[in-house]
Amino acid sequence: MSALTPLLKAPGALIECDDDPEAVFELLCAKGWSDGLPVIPPTPERVERMLAWCDRDLDKAVMRIPPRFGAATPIRVAANAVMAGCKPEVFPLVLLALEALAEEQYNLYGTQATTHPCTPLLIFNGPVAKEVGLHSGQNVMGNYFRANAAIGRAVRLALVNIGAAIPGTGDMATAGTPAKFTFCVAENEARSPWDPLHVELGFSREASTVTVVCAEGPHNINDHESLTAEGILTMVAGTMAITGSNNAYYAGQPVLAFGPEHAATVAGGGMRKADVKQWLFEHATLPLARFSKETIERRFRRKLAEQYANAPLDAPVRMVSKPEDLIVIVTGGAGKHSQYVPTFGNTRAATRALKRADGTLAKSIHEFKRS
Amino acid sequence: MAQLTKRGVIAAVVCSDTFMKLGSAQAKVFGVADLPLLKIQHPLGGLKMDKVRERAEVALPQLIQAIKAVKEKQA
Repeated sequence: MSALTPLLKAPGALIECDDDPEAVFELLCAKGWSDGLPVIPPTPERVERMLAWCDRDLDKAVMRIPPRFGAATPIRVAANAVMAGCKPEVFPLVLLALEALAEEQYNLYGTQATTHPCTPLLIFNGPVAKEVGLHSGQNVMGNYFRANAAIGRAVRLALVNIGAAIPGTGDMATAGTPAKFTFCVAENEARSPWDPLHVELGFSREASTVTVVCAEGPHNINDHESLTAEGILTMVAGTMAITGSNNAYYAGQPVLAFGPEHAATVAGGGMRKADVKQWLFEHATLPLARFSKETIERRFRRKLAEQYANAPLDAPVRMVSKPEDLIVIVTGGAGKHSQYVPTFGNTRAATRALKRADGTLAKSIHEFKRS
Repeated sequence: MAQLTKRGVIAAVVCSDTFMKLGSAQAKVFGVADLPLLKIQHPLGGLKMDKVRERAEVALPQLIQAIKAVKEKQA
C-alpha cells in the first residue's frame, strides 16, 4: 500500500471519470478547477510520482490560500502540479513558492481578490534553478520553457483550485493579465555584472531561493541607441514613470529586469546595483501636474496628505518610496531590451531558501527524492 | 467585521452589488455567515459626493434593519 492510499479515502479526494483526456478536461472545467487550458489528468499514479519528490508530510498544509483559506497540503498541490505539466523533480520549488506567498508582507489575501491585474512573479536564484532546467535566457518571460511555464502554472492553479481565486467571486480583477497563466523566471546569474538577487539579500551563493513579487505583466524598455549608463537609465526611468501605476501611490517594490546587454552597459559605466537604484529613485518621477486634477485633489492632496497636501504642481511623484525598494535583476538573452514590472503596490516581496524538512539548506533537488 | 461580530458587536459590511458574491463567501470563510451585507450600487470608488450620499441613503435603512434583527434575536 502506498503512502497515498489512506489519504485517497478522504471524502472528495477521488473522483471518477472516463479515461479520456477530453472527458477529464471537461470535468475539471465544469467543476471550475482550471485555468481554461488543457491539463494532464491528475491520476493517483501521477500524483504519487510527484509526491516522490516531497519530504514534507503529505497531508499537512504548508500554508493556506485565501480567499477560501484552503489548506495547501502537498497532496493537493501535487495534483495541481500534475495538471500544470510539472516534472516531478520540480515539485519542491512549487511548494517553496507557495510558502513564500504565505508570508504576511506579500498580502496574498489582498492580491488574490483585488481588481488590480496582478499575479505572483516567481524569481528563482541559485544552483537548483539551473539543476531543474529553469530558463534564464532568450524569451525568458515568454513561452516554450517547460520548467518556467509549468512551475508558474502550478502555483496559479493552486491559487484558483485551493484558494478559490475564481474570477467574479474570489478574484475581482477588472481585466486581469496574461501573466496569470504563468510568470516564472530564473535570474541570468552568469550574465549579470552584479551579485544575484539572493546574494544581495543576504543568502549564501550556494542557497537556492525564490523571490515572489505581486506583479503586473512586464513592460518593455527598448533602447538600441544609448551607449552609457545614464543613457540606458534615462530610458528606464521614462518607462517606470507612468501615471496609471499603483507604484505611484504605494510603497511597493517594482522589479527592473535588465537584459544582459543593458546591464553590461550600465555596469560598464561604473554603476553598482545600489547606484542604479539611487539614480532611478531620483529620476523615475513625474511632476504632480501630470496626474488628473481629480487624482491630485482626491488621492494626492487627501489620501497622501502628509506628503502632498501642500506640494507644488512640479513636486516629483516617485515610483519607489526609497531606493532599496526597487528590485533589480538580470534575466533574458541577447538584445537591447529590458523589462520593468510594476506591482500591486500594497505588497512586499518575500524570499525563501529551499530547505529540507529538517531545516537544512538544500544543495540539490535530489535531496527531496524519497527512497 | 468578522472579529467584531464574534465579540458580540453588531457589525455590517457595505458591499457593492458586484462584490456581493465575494462578501458572502468571505463571511462564510470567516465563520460569520449571517454577517449583514449592506448592498449598494457599484461602483463606490470615483464618485462625486451626491452619488456617495445616494448610496448612503440606500445603505442606511439596511443597517437599521440589521441592528433591529440582531436586537430581536437577543430579546
